[in-house]
Amino acid sequence: MESLSATSTAGVLLDLSGVLMLLLAFACLASKLFNRYVVYYGAQSVVLSFAAGTAAVAFHSAELWILAVLTLAVKGIAIPVAARRLLVTRLALKRDAAMSTGLSTSLIAGGALTAFAYLVIRPDLLPHGTVAAAVVPLSTAVILLGSLSMVVRRHTVAQLIGWLIVENGVFLGAITLVATFPFIVEAGIFLDIVAGVLIMVVFVSGLTRQLAEASAGELRELRG
Amino acid sequence: MTALAILIALGPLTGPAAAIAGARARLAGIAQAAGAVVAFGCSLALLVMLNGRAPLFGWDGFLYVDSLGGFFAMTVAGVTLLAALGSIGYICAEEDSGGFSGFQVRLYYAFFGLFASLMLAALETGNLGLLFVLVEASTLASAALVGIEGRSRSLEAAWKYVIISSLGVTIALAGTLFLFYSGSALHLGSNLGLTWPYLFAHAYALAPQPLRLAFLLAVVGYGTKVGLAPMHTWLPDAHAEAPSPASAMLSAALLNAGMYAIIRFLAIAHARLGGTYPRAVLLSFGFASIVIGALFMVRRGNFKRLFAYSSVEQMGIIAVALGFGGVLGLYGALLQMLNHALAKSVLFLSSGDVSLRYKTREASQVSGLMAAVPVTGGALLLASFAVLGSPPFGLFLSELTIVRAGFASASPVFPLLLLFLLGLAFVPFARTTAGMVTGRPPDQLANPYPGKAVTAVTAAPLVLGLAALLVLGLWIPAGLDTVLRHSIEVIG
Repeated sequence: MESLSATSTAGVLLDLSGVLMLLLAFACLASKLFNRYVVYYGAQSVVLSFAAGTAAVAFHSAELWILAVLTLAVKGIAIPVAARRLLVTRLALKRDAAMSTGLSTSLIAGGALTAFAYLVIRPDLLPHGTVAAAVVPLSTAVILLGSLSMVVRRHTVAQLIGWLIVENGVFLGAITLVATFPFIVEAGIFLDIVAGVLIMVVFVSGLTRQLAEASAGELRELRG
Repeated sequence: MTALAILIALGPLTGPAAAIAGARARLAGIAQAAGAVVAFGCSLALLVMLNGRAPLFGWDGFLYVDSLGGFFAMTVAGVTLLAALGSIGYICAEEDSGGFSGFQVRLYYAFFGLFASLMLAALETGNLGLLFVLVEASTLASAALVGIEGRSRSLEAAWKYVIISSLGVTIALAGTLFLFYSGSALHLGSNLGLTWPYLFAHAYALAPQPLRLAFLLAVVGYGTKVGLAPMHTWLPDAHAEAPSPASAMLSAALLNAGMYAIIRFLAIAHARLGGTYPRAVLLSFGFASIVIGALFMVRRGNFKRLFAYSSVEQMGIIAVALGFGGVLGLYGALLQMLNHALAKSVLFLSSGDVSLRYKTREASQVSGLMAAVPVTGGALLLASFAVLGSPPFGLFLSELTIVRAGFASASPVFPLLLLFLLGLAFVPFARTTAGMVTGRPPDQLANPYPGKAVTAVTAAPLVLGLAALLVLGLWIPAGLDTVLRHSIEVIG
């Protein structure tokens, strides 16, 4: 499959989606409210689904259309709604106090990671002028920012959202790098995400019942 | 052959089927063990049929079994069989004492069988995307096993496990993407193009820069599942908190399945990039794991944590062996994986017996095991020495092979360092287990198992595993030798 050029309409739209997703990842990193985490994640997924739709038009690929619809339905709507109902509302989560660094420090670290992503994805890795060369550093940065928010946040729900952001970053990379996996693999990945979220929700609820606050910062029993 | 391959993956689902039908611990356990026998028998038959023939290939490469995959499937199915036999006693005892509710028993067997089945399926696919899907799914199934006791400690361990492993495997997915991307010149449009045999055969056309990144990401990602340092932090907690037969599955089956994925990436990277780069990556992670594993074994405490850190160390040894490479290094690595799987199954299963009888997981509170329960005590002691690489057990032979491979390929510094670290690990490990086995037993030790038959079944996997270890230490059967050589041909 030929790689899209960065100056084509689809290329510009994909690039724009990548930038938006990066900004939303930053927004999530800068937020302290559980409600916002879920909203930013949902918005990021909607943008991802738009990116998949753009690629579907450009490549005339039915599989990418299905991917776009699945992303919208599962990641854009189902997971955020479920996370809000089952976790944020039911566990009465409001402000996230369990952070290992201040917000400004984590934002500076996020900026550094974004720069790092551009340094690592060097021009000799991806051909110049293709959309991949523009978007893959963005998706790498989204992956790194998701990981960063998993590291600096100690609350289990925040870590779960961090993992989902990492997953979004990988998907953005997938769309621009190789356009499409076989459908059964895509479906499998979605199934894994859904099952993963479900099982994590069960663990978070169980931990909340046992500890006053399901913060990984209080998960201190197992050491050494 | 296709039917055999499908039976291997579906065999262990008898346990979940029995659990869903509402069976109690004993019946579900027997069903699970029967399924594991089917899977193990089929994996042996498949290996025999694959001997010297073209690999099994079907459905656009979604099904692909060569000697290497067959060898790993045999190992994992064997471990599943041992762990399923061990589960019968362990879960019956937990049900009997009220430790597990009926729902927990059904949950245990549902996820135990699913976990085994997903791992076996992962070893039988050639599609690298599907490999990711199945490995991630097996993580989720095993996370449920880790958290099954529902106490805050086990939930904490399960949370740590699922979040770290999921992140790790997602990184491996990024690695898989870069691997596909490195094949842009091949115009990988069809499903066929995304399979391992195709990419391996066309390795010459892969772009080297993305391939380097792909290999590194795959080692970090699947290495998280393998427990390579510094991505090992979930491992001791998960192994310590899971029910013992599930710990045996984690240590002896899951870690091997992760290593299998790394070997597939290694083969492609080696074919295109040559030996230097993969060696540097694997030796770094390998030695880091051995050092971390050996150092943390010094701390005395929970004996299951001790065995878990020994797994980190052993996986490091295997990574080092893969880094040494060559026929000798690969042979040693595969043999080490088989031996380690057997020894760790025996160790974790006997630790399950100990924790049921002594009602503790602290090594300092266990003494006189040999006098109180000779079979378990003997198995624990012998398996400890086996895992530490003493003759006449299999790990002695495989570690010797690995050290020889090191002298043959790299500078002598590395094999000497390896020998030093192996010696370093010996002392704390042997001190702890010897302390558990010797001494005076406590006055009253109740038999936790309901009925004589269940007690007898508990000893079966220990004896079987040790016997296999002893055989492999004395002599490598001709059939196994052929399988190992064919496996090396596949990836070399």
